[in-house]
Amino acid sequence: MNAQDFPLYGAERRGAPVTAFTRVSDGDILERGYIFDPDISVVMDESLLDDPLANPLAGLRRGGVLLVNTRRSAEAYRRTREDITILTVDLTDLALKVLGRPVLSAASAAAAARVLSIAEASLQRAVADELEEIGVGGGLAAKNLELAGLIYAKLKPMRLETRELGAAETLVPLSVIVSGSGSEDAVSTGNSYLRRTGDWRTYRPVIDYARCTDCMVCYAYCPESAMSVKDDGRISIDYDNCKGCLICVTECPLRAIVKQQEGVA
Amino acid sequence: MKNDRLITGNFAAAWAARLARVDYIPAYPITPQTEIIETLAKWVREGLMDARLVQVESEHSMLTAAGAASLTGARVFSATSSQGLLYGLEMLYNMSGWRAPMVLVNVSRALAAPITLAPDHNDVLAARDSGSVQLHAENAQEVVDLGLLAYRIAEDRRVRLPAIVNLDGFFLSFTREKVDIPEQAKVDEFLPEYKVADPFSATRPVSKGSSVMEGFAYSYFHYHIHEAAQRAREVLREASQDYESLFGRRYGPVEAFMLDDAEYVLVISNSFATLGKQAVVSLRKDGVPAGLLKLRMLRPFPVQEVASTLRGRKVVAVFDQNLSPGSGGILYPEVTSALYHLRDRPKSVLPVVGGLGGKDITKHEMMAVFERMRALGRNGETAPAPMYLMRDDEMARVNRMLSVARGVQPKK
Repeated sequence: MNAQDFPLYGAERRGAPVTAFTRVSDGDILERGYIFDPDISVVMDESLLDDPLANPLAGLRRGGVLLVNTRRSAEAYRRTREDITILTVDLTDLALKVLGRPVLSAASAAAAARVLSIAEASLQRAVADELEEIGVGGGLAAKNLELAGLIYAKLKPMRLETRELGAAETLVPLSVIVSGSGSEDAVSTGNSYLRRTGDWRTYRPVIDYARCTDCMVCYAYCPESAMSVKDDGRISIDYDNCKGCLICVTECPLRAIVKQQEGVA
Repeated sequence: MKNDRLITGNFAAAWAARLARVDYIPAYPITPQTEIIETLAKWVREGLMDARLVQVESEHSMLTAAGAASLTGARVFSATSSQGLLYGLEMLYNMSGWRAPMVLVNVSRALAAPITLAPDHNDVLAARDSGSVQLHAENAQEVVDLGLLAYRIAEDRRVRLPAIVNLDGFFLSFTREKVDIPEQAKVDEFLPEYKVADPFSATRPVSKGSSVMEGFAYSYFHYHIHEAAQRAREVLREASQDYESLFGRRYGPVEAFMLDDAEYVLVISNSFATLGKQAVVSLRKDGVPAGLLKLRMLRPFPVQEVASTLRGRKVVAVFDQNLSPGSGGILYPEVTSALYHLRDRPKSVLPVVGGLGGKDITKHEMMAVFERMRALGRNGETAPAPMYLMRDDEMARVNRMLSVARGVQPKK
C-alpha cells in the first residue's frame, strides 16, 4: 500500500483556508500535487462551499462523497449536486466538547478514514504518530484519539464506485495569453475587502455596548482593521472581514467584548 | 532491511544531512526550505546530530561561511530557495573557485516578481554556470539518496566542487511519500571521512582564491573547474555502483522510463517527471510507443546519455519548467545541442514550457504534449513552434483577477 499527501496554503495566516490532498493506492502513485478529480471531498468549513475561489466541489467524481463539517443535515445540501453522496457531521461541536477547541485535524481524518473503510487501529496509530511528530503527547493526544474514535463510530464505510466528470479542457495558445498589454497593474488597490475573511470565524466577538466606553483599545489591537468608528462615535465590528482571532476579547480592559460560537443562537 | 517512512521531501533532505554526519550548517530561512533547517536544528538540540548550526544574516554570508568551513575540513550542509539562492549566488562561484565542496539543497521556488512561493527552475538554473554539480530529484527517496551521492561527488579529490541537490517546493518539499531511510552504518561505509589536503587552520595560514589579474591565470583555473565538473560524471558512476550494492538503488545521470522501442520521448526533470510518467503509462496501455527521459544530473550535463538514449527516436519534446525571456526554455538548447551531431537524430524536437510558478499540469496537458509529438511525427515538421502551456479555465481565472485589479466587483 502506498500513500502520499500534499498540503497547500498561501502565506501563513491563522484561520486562512487550506487545502490538502491525499492519495492511497495498492500500486505506485504516478501522480503528485493537486487532485483534480477526487473520490471524496472533506469540507472542514461549510462556508467554503460558497467560496468561488475555494470551490471544493470542482472535479468531485460522479458517485463520489462530499463530507461536510456542519450542524445542518445532509438534506440541506441535497441540491448542491445530484450525482454524489452527501454526508454531514458536526466535527466542530465534537472537537469543542472533547478537546475544548475547534481543532479538526484528527476529527476530519477519522471521518475520511471511516468512509474509506480504513481500519480503526490504523487511524489511531496515524493520529498518535502525527501528534507525536508535532510534539503533542499525554492528555491532549489521548483526547484527540478519543475524538477520532467518537467520529469513527458515528459514520459508516462506503463502497465507492466513481467516474470522472469528464469536463472538457482546452489549451490556450500563446497568442491569446499575450494579447493584453503584458504589463497589467493592480490599478484598483485596496480590494482585499472583497475577500470575505469573516467566513473563516469559529467564534465571533460581540460588543456589549452597555459596558463599552469607546476607549479604542480594540481598534488599536485588531490586526485586520476590522474595528471602525461609526458616525455616532461608537466602535463597530466589520463582520465581513473579522477573522475571529479574538484578540479584542483578550485586550478589552472592561471585558466588554464577549465571544459567541458562530451558528449558535 | 527496509526502513520505510512516510516523510516529506524537506524531511528527506534533512535526513541526508544527518546521515552524512555533517559538521557545520550555516543557515538562513526562506519558504519553502525553512522546514529543513528547523528539522536539523531540532536534531542538533536533541543531540541526535553532532553538528554546529548557526543562523547567519543572509544567504551571502551563509555560503561564505560554508566555503570557509569546508576548507578547514568540515563537512558542510545548507539549504536555500529562490531569491535566497540568487542572493548567495556570487559566493557559489567563489566556492567552486576555492574548490570548496559542500552540499546545498535548493528547494525550487519561482523568482519574483510577481512574488509566489510555488516552484519552477529559474532559481536553480541561475546557478547553472557557477561550477557547482547539480542533481535534481523527482521524489523524496531521490532527495535522501542524491543528497548522499552528492557528498561523494563533491568531496572526491577529482571534483572538489559544491553540489546542489534540487527539489521542487510544495510538489516535493511538502509532499509526504514512502521513503526507505538508509541505515547509518551502511552510510558510514559508503561515505568516507572528508579530508582536505591543505586545510585552513589558525596555526598554518593558507590562501585561497588569490587575485590573479592576468587572464591566462584566470583561464587556467577556470579550465580546471570545467575539468573537475566533467569528472563528476565518472565519480557519480562509481559512487552509484557502491550505492546500489549497499542500498539496492542505482542512480545514473538520467533515468530511462519505458524507453524500449519508444518513438515519442518526453525529456523532463524534477517532480513533474512523475506526471510525465503517468501520461506515458496511460499511452502505452493504448499501444502508443511513448517514453520518458528524466534528466537527473544537470551539471555536468549528461551529453552522452542524452545522445545515446534519444538517437533514432521519431519525435522528442523537452519540457522546460523555466523560461529565459527572449529565448525560451533553458534545457531545450542543451538537449538539442547534444543531438545535433548525430546522423540519426530525431527529426523534430518540440520545445515545451510549462509549470512556471508552480502552475499545475493536468493529465490532459501532458497528453496534449504527446498528441502534438504524434502530429509532428505524421507531418514531419522539423522546426515546431514551442508550446507554452496554459488552460482555458486558468486563463478565465487570470481574466477574473485582472478585472478585480481594475476595480470591477466580481460576481459571487
